[in-house]
Amino acid sequence: MIQPEELVGEEWAEWYRLTPVERWLESEKLWQTYLALGGSLDPESDTQSPFFDSKAPRSRLAHGRTSVRVLRRGRV
Amino acid sequence: MGGQACVFYGAAEFSRDIDFAILANGTNFARLKNALAELDAEVIAVPPFSLKYLRKGHAVHFRCRHPEAAGLRIDLMTKMRGVDSFSKLWARRTTMALPDGTRCDLLSLPDLVQAKKTQRDKDWPMLRRLVEAHFFDHARTHRSAHVKFWLRELRTPELLIEATRKAPVAARRLTSRRPLLHQALAGDARALQVALRREEELERASDRGYWKPLKVELESLRHAKV
Repeated sequence: MIQPEELVGEEWAEWYRLTPVERWLESEKLWQTYLALGGSLDPESDTQSPFFDSKAPRSRLAHGRTSVRVLRRGRV
Repeated sequence: MGGQACVFYGAAEFSRDIDFAILANGTNFARLKNALAELDAEVIAVPPFSLKYLRKGHAVHFRCRHPEAAGLRIDLMTKMRGVDSFSKLWARRTTMALPDGTRCDLLSLPDLVQAKKTQRDKDWPMLRRLVEAHFFDHARTHRSAHVKFWLRELRTPELLIEATRKAPVAARRLTSRRPLLHQALAGDARALQVALRREEELERASDRGYWKPLKVELESLRHAKV
């Protein structure tokens, strides 16, 4: 029988082995971190979504910047 | 029925909104209005929050203003392409109890998989993960209902070939419904990969066709609003 590691690698195999509630709790931790870092609750713009409206205004954070930005850019 | 349900079943989506499939009848609509009022949720974008639009298959979008859920987006739908009526979805739902005692009712995995067959790129890797996770979780028990689900929905060539080896008779029976099982039965991973891509393209085209009139209606509602 094919093992998850052979197919999807260690990280995904580990995720698959968690129980549903464990996955839920891990996801919640990620959420807390995301929000603590000032992450936005605006869904990512998805041009393939049937609900996509290119003219819709998007809410902005109080400081007026996007929540993730480049602080230092390495050379290519 | 969105990212949170996917996490529960084994995929991983960092979804910033919550999607609910709801029963669109008068009584439930009134209860829903009360619940949304408690969250101080306002409709954003179009269509307006009405049974008429929900029953047509539109999604209604909200943003919460209650301090404990400030900024949270909620999307409501009652009808999805290729997915059964709400009463059937409800009868098949999965109920999860969180450690704090909260109960969550989720679309069953086969229903969620069906709902995820959309025109969007991002739903397809998710679909694959959802069925893979189920396969690895239940491969040892090998229940007939599970095998049929894998034969109908697996999108991983290696696992699909393995599933047909385990249940060749069931696989042959399902070839009229899913022709690419022929390639899986033949163990031809390369041809199977091509057939899976084709199957995906057809589903995406169907979804675009399904949404075409709804998008026209959304556009006219946007114009009327301006």
